[in-house]
Amino acid sequence: MALDMDVMLTKIKDRQWALADIDWDAPGAELVRPEMTPKLKKFMADLCWIENIGARGFAAMARKAPTATLAEIYRYFHAEEQRHANAELALMKRWGMLEDGEMPEPNVNIRLAMQWLDDYSDDLPLSVLGTVIPMLEVALDGALLKFLLDEVDDPVCHQVFEKINNDESRHIAVDFEVLEMIGHADARKLAIEFVGTVASPSLIVGALISIPLLNRIRNEVIGMGLDPQRLYSALMRFTQFGERGEHTRRVPAYQVIKRYSGWMANPDSPYHLLANPAVWLSGFYPKRLLKPIPSWFKELTHEPAA
Amino acid sequence: MAGAHIYQTLIVGAGFTGIGAAIKLAEAGLAGDDEIVILERSDRVGGTWRDTRYPGAACDIPSLLYSFSFVANPGWSRAYPSAGEICAHIEDMVDRFDLRRHIRFGTEVTRLAFDEEAGMWTVAAGRKKFRARTVVLASGPLPDSSFPALRGLNSYTGHKIHSARWDRDYDFTGKKVAVIGTGASAVQIIPELVEQARFVKVFQRTPGWVIPRLDMAMPAAVQELFAKVPAAQQLARQALFWGHEASATALVWNTPLSGLVAQLGKAHLRATVKDPWLRRQLTPDFTPGCKRMLISSDYYPALQRDNCKLIAWPIATLSPSGIRTSDGVEHQLDAIVFATGYDVHLTGPPFPVTGLGGRSLATDWSGGGQAFKSIQTHGYPNLFFMTGPNSGPGHNSLLVYVEGQIDYVVRAVGAIRRGSLRYLDVRDDVQRRHNQQIQRRLSKTTWMSGCRSWYLTEDGFNASMYPGFATQYLRQMRSFRLADYHAVA
Repeated sequence: MALDMDVMLTKIKDRQWALADIDWDAPGAELVRPEMTPKLKKFMADLCWIENIGARGFAAMARKAPTATLAEIYRYFHAEEQRHANAELALMKRWGMLEDGEMPEPNVNIRLAMQWLDDYSDDLPLSVLGTVIPMLEVALDGALLKFLLDEVDDPVCHQVFEKINNDESRHIAVDFEVLEMIGHADARKLAIEFVGTVASPSLIVGALISIPLLNRIRNEVIGMGLDPQRLYSALMRFTQFGERGEHTRRVPAYQVIKRYSGWMANPDSPYHLLANPAVWLSGFYPKRLLKPIPSWFKELTHEPAA
Repeated sequence: MAGAHIYQTLIVGAGFTGIGAAIKLAEAGLAGDDEIVILERSDRVGGTWRDTRYPGAACDIPSLLYSFSFVANPGWSRAYPSAGEICAHIEDMVDRFDLRRHIRFGTEVTRLAFDEEAGMWTVAAGRKKFRARTVVLASGPLPDSSFPALRGLNSYTGHKIHSARWDRDYDFTGKKVAVIGTGASAVQIIPELVEQARFVKVFQRTPGWVIPRLDMAMPAAVQELFAKVPAAQQLARQALFWGHEASATALVWNTPLSGLVAQLGKAHLRATVKDPWLRRQLTPDFTPGCKRMLISSDYYPALQRDNCKLIAWPIATLSPSGIRTSDGVEHQLDAIVFATGYDVHLTGPPFPVTGLGGRSLATDWSGGGQAFKSIQTHGYPNLFFMTGPNSGPGHNSLLVYVEGQIDYVVRAVGAIRRGSLRYLDVRDDVQRRHNQQIQRRLSKTTWMSGCRSWYLTEDGFNASMYPGFATQYLRQMRSFRLADYHAVA
């Protein structure tokens, strides 16, 4: 049955939570073992920036939404992704990973991704962001966050991610409903939009940026001990959700992302012969060519009150 | 009992409109001693402008046009009048035309009922009752205000202030203040608040189009010229009128000129806002004109002050100490200013009105008000709605439209009295045809181009705006035809 977006919007408004709802000084922080800290800090920083980038994606989607209700839902999702990033920062602070006033440094891939989002995302059709974002959310929800909960015993971490997961499940429900809606369009419109988008320099640049970004995170999390099979299974959920819909498979961007996510998650895929050198190469990207960090990046905070 | 006396005309409201109507009725010889009465709920005249006293409150239409053509005022001190100066002008009108004796202050109307047999309206104001043959409802389009339905509204323990009912005793010095809303009132309040408060957080839901305000003090030489040569002031008013009329081609209808206004708005943003993300947050995503244009030159600079921050996250709830936004942060505040506008009565006045055969206006207008030429509605004879359904301008001075309504009232009241009619009731078929035409024309306007605004009811029905030039509206108001009415002697 189709999702009633008005009901969903009410549910989203009813389920809002704040950093102030969580006792950040509750016992349990000591359960993060010191040997975990360096890798966990890196992982949490990337996770937090990825949420922030997802937030920017939703901001772009709000402008493309075909109905006022969906635009409002995306406005909330934009804020919720920011809330997740803030909560993850607050966990880092709790675990002693951040000095006073310290913010985790975004790596070069994140910097390039934010630059690209600022330059192009507002002009992309809904179908592109509408496909990429669910893929990232399924991967986050199904693999990375669950892995984190297996590794970290801190009850506050579990409390936070339970809230985040509940939000994400609503995001995923809306994401796939929208994909289904996009798939309803006639074949000619889908084809023209797809060819027009793929042929655009912005998307080619976007793909070149996202390949090393996603592979860097994948490598980091596998380096921390995530079973690659688990990431693969998580990304297969993207396909499962997509195939459940009657029209989703008609969306060309969905077909592309489905294949791409399969390659990324499969450790034996020849795709990594391209992606891993890209990660290595991106490390040499001249810092002076990076634009200043946009101000939306600086809105992150681990403080429950302002 | 006050009801023993029968007035020829009873006017509800002593704001700009009610006072203007009384002046013209008197001029036509229809407001002799004991013939008219003006009921005013407050203890002073001035209506919405009396109540709107937030810092920086001013009109976004130039002084020369935001006044009646039949009441000269060469002394306007600025190009755009402040609320205080407008109030002083209304007080001056009352004195100049000796109207105070007709006003019953502290008299708030609670009910209107028509007696068909007697052809008489009974107007209840609490325990007082008045009887009148004709009633002019000049209670204004924006008479009331209330706090918006935000979650946790009553849990907040700090100071709450509504822009329409300003608390002048509250000292903002050194305080952390929120302003909720970024509409016409907010863009005037925020530049003033950043001067006083320690920190101002501006909570925005939808950014509006902002056009620079070219305000200036009126040079003494110009004031002198207007005093000595009234025709010069009339000429300047005409020039402003036609300038505003021309803007209808961009603001009322979605034309290539609307795109030009959008470009102007974006150029204003680019010139005054440095940060690209802030600029994006402030860029509207609707056709200019769809919501009311914002006229301000100091709003954008105020937002960029070190002690001011724009917050575009949705408000999740109010908490005892402030506002929680959906990014999970609680903003702790000493005071919250609700610049959330007025209660717009698109479904009729906020008190019961009973017409012919006991019919109720609240029921008849439940889906949005409908009237003939915005001023009369079938089933409610001898009752005149000032600033009634579909009389709102999106591009010109409201008072220009009000002048048209006043002229119509004078003609209609004159016809009733000359013909010794018991009542005049606009014909249902005439009203229906008129509204079909209005709604057909409205469908092509910017107001119906997809944005949500206070011009529309919850169901998206436009019961407020007039789809055309002011010139067209005035032409329709100049024609009063008895044939449009069911006249009962």
